[in-house]
Amino acid sequence: MPVDHPHQEHGIQLPSPTAWPVVLALGIALVMSGMVTSGIVSVLGGALALAAMVGWFRQVLPHEAHEAVEVSTEETLISSARTVAARLPADATSRKIIPEETFRITTGIKGGIAGGIAMAVPAAIFSIIRYHSIWYAMNLLAAGGFVSWAGASDAFLSEFHLRGLLAAFVIHGLTSLLVGLLYGAMLPMFPKYPIVTAGIMVPLLFTGILHSAIGVVSPILNQRIEWFWFVVSQIAFGLVCGFVVNLQAKVRTSQFRALPFSVRAGLHSDLNERDYEEPIESKDEDITR
Amino acid sequence: MATQIPVNEVHDQIAQVPRRLWLEVLHGCVTTVDHKKIGLMYIGYALIFLVIAGFEALLMRIQLAIPNNHFVSPEVFNGLFTMHGTTMVFFVGMPILFGFGNYLIPLMIGARDMAFPRLNAFSFWISAFAGFLLYFSYIGGSGLYGAGSAPDVGWFAYAPLTARVFSPGHSTDYWTLALLLTGIGSIGTALNIVATIICMRCPGMKMSRLPLLPWIYLVMSGLTFVAIGPLTAAQIMLMLDRYVGSHFFDTQAGGSAVLWMHFFWIFGHPEVYILVLPAFAFANEIIPVFSRKAIFGYPAMVAASVGIGFISLSVWAHHMFTVGLGPGGNTFFTLATMIISVPTGIKIFNWLATLWGGKIQFTASMMFAIGFLFQFLIAGLTGIMLSVAPFDWQLGNSYFVVAHFHYVLVGAILFMIFSAFYYWFPKMTGRMLSERLGKWHFWLFVIGFHLTFDLMHVPGLLGMPRRIYTYEADRGWMIWNLLVSSGAIIQTVATLLFVYNMVWSYFKGPIAGPDPWDAWTLEWSTPSPPPSYNFAEIPTVASRRPLWDLKHPEDPDFDYEIEQGSPQQTKKEGA
Repeated sequence: MPVDHPHQEHGIQLPSPTAWPVVLALGIALVMSGMVTSGIVSVLGGALALAAMVGWFRQVLPHEAHEAVEVSTEETLISSARTVAARLPADATSRKIIPEETFRITTGIKGGIAGGIAMAVPAAIFSIIRYHSIWYAMNLLAAGGFVSWAGASDAFLSEFHLRGLLAAFVIHGLTSLLVGLLYGAMLPMFPKYPIVTAGIMVPLLFTGILHSAIGVVSPILNQRIEWFWFVVSQIAFGLVCGFVVNLQAKVRTSQFRALPFSVRAGLHSDLNERDYEEPIESKDEDITR
Repeated sequence: MATQIPVNEVHDQIAQVPRRLWLEVLHGCVTTVDHKKIGLMYIGYALIFLVIAGFEALLMRIQLAIPNNHFVSPEVFNGLFTMHGTTMVFFVGMPILFGFGNYLIPLMIGARDMAFPRLNAFSFWISAFAGFLLYFSYIGGSGLYGAGSAPDVGWFAYAPLTARVFSPGHSTDYWTLALLLTGIGSIGTALNIVATIICMRCPGMKMSRLPLLPWIYLVMSGLTFVAIGPLTAAQIMLMLDRYVGSHFFDTQAGGSAVLWMHFFWIFGHPEVYILVLPAFAFANEIIPVFSRKAIFGYPAMVAASVGIGFISLSVWAHHMFTVGLGPGGNTFFTLATMIISVPTGIKIFNWLATLWGGKIQFTASMMFAIGFLFQFLIAGLTGIMLSVAPFDWQLGNSYFVVAHFHYVLVGAILFMIFSAFYYWFPKMTGRMLSERLGKWHFWLFVIGFHLTFDLMHVPGLLGMPRRIYTYEADRGWMIWNLLVSSGAIIQTVATLLFVYNMVWSYFKGPIAGPDPWDAWTLEWSTPSPPPSYNFAEIPTVASRRPLWDLKHPEDPDFDYEIEQGSPQQTKKEGA
């Protein structure tokens, strides 16, 4: 059934077809080609390009050339083959439920900073006990970026080096921030005992991965690393970072904003309606196409 | 649920359209400024070059299949890997992705054309002539008066190979000029895409409702602006070195070969993301439709795309670890390269979350998309391995690297391009591609791909350098190379099947109708193929899935996309 478009009596205005773009492109290509073939080719290309520019300008100035295109429309049937599925029953603790509250990004940053500081403490204790210098652990970390430090003596690594301090600060700071952000994102998703998972299990897993990969990532660190102290510092990071993250207030997600006002105002819980409803039979929608 | 809405023609008239003369078709192509025709021309031209560059790859694999082989000469082999790489990046990857962008962006944002239709045509043609110029080198490489030769300096043309003393004649100049020309076209198209997305969205389509495909093309176009500039500058400097006597890259006269590497890779690595971002864009459209779910984490997807765009500008020197960057450079580029895996990981998790709990339809398009997910993950993992400077020192310039980047370019990008063909071919032609042939294509290609590129890692680990012409039999590489070459042949058969499917379906395929996939973005509200004006009435949208809203007025998306202070929120609170 044709549909009238009274405001489009003269059709839709579209830019007129034109050959000037292809002529200009050919002209420029020939100008370039002449540099590796013959000057005549460049001259021909220049002439074509000039003609094309003039023709192009004449098409768009003072008014852009348009052509009217006839519109022929009919009503079309927009339909969907969607199947309405039954909602599966879920209790309030199920992780299927999309969280309505989560941590802010700044929470992860705070956790990362706190964890990073906490991690430095066992590293410093190790450094002082074993090498009588607070700088050893820091220089060891920095050595990952300095190839020339690969064969450095323990005495060298126990001295203060500004380069080492800066490199260690950057490496440690960035890594702590990134892991902190990861904790901020993941902690709400850990089941039941997040501190145990975040503080002990994740550091142990991370240590295992690093133990197998450190030889490639940083051979010097691999030679000198003390795995017991490494694990202690990882757990210190995990516990403190997890603790700090958990202390922060959560913010509401867009899922919360989609709830009815009465639920958001705390006047009424919609859990019964949304999550405990009985499964309904699947039904196919009207498939008319 | 069925809704009557006035959109466009209901009947597919493709079968009733009288066949036009070839001359008329040619005239239409030369003079058109319609974004859809230009998009199809980009795609057609890229497919022609895909066949050519694929044939070059096949010749290389035949040469390397067995040791001490002399199937082609060393000079021809050098030309083959140079032309294969250059063609695949500049004359297959970029045009095919620009082609899809050209075709889809105005349709998806409810516009009638690109912002600058004539510039659009110009950009296409100058890129096309660049491709012809590059291949003209086969007959004119040493000038019209001598025997021709193709460029043979590798696709990244390191100095001093490009100096006149090592590259006499004009073969390198053809390479330089072709890249200069195609750079003009790329900038023009990127400019058009940005202007179209910023200025021509239909009413109601705020940036927060923009489909993810245009969003990602916006990021990709921004990267194009930044990346093409250094490449063009480097090409001009190279021309000056070769003809005016300057010494930018001449180490004998105070120049620096490493300077070229910096210029090239400041372009080269963002270029990888210019190519892979549209593949992400296709995945963002295709995976939700065939999972029957809205994309998971739309804002995170947008943020990750923008993040990738920025971070990709700071990783270029990981291609140069073996130069000896020093500890500061090594550390920075290692960290930057590792960090880019964070937004990329976000994307992979979001695609998986979209699939999770969905009602997945295993169409040929979806199968290629799932193959992409798996293979892109592997490509990312070997990428992280290579981002570690000491690891890269061992395997830089080996076949391990070749396997890694082909995992990205073929396993991720080409798979998503195939997926996009199966998904949008019905919209572009009005006819469905054969699903049966599509599944044959998928399985053959998957087998060929994994045979080739999984096993290609091994000779790399065993020390086989890239770009070598042949090798001795006692190196232990033969069996691996033979298997790799067998995989290349299987991929060729699969690709021929795909080409046959396209040609057959174009003439004989079932009529598609306007919306064969029950999809949700605006292009599916137009007839297949769409009329020249796209939309009889410019649509108004109220959510990220406007067609869903039309199909399901009882459960529209805009009920769930409430923003603070919006009319919907006010209405809802009032209720």
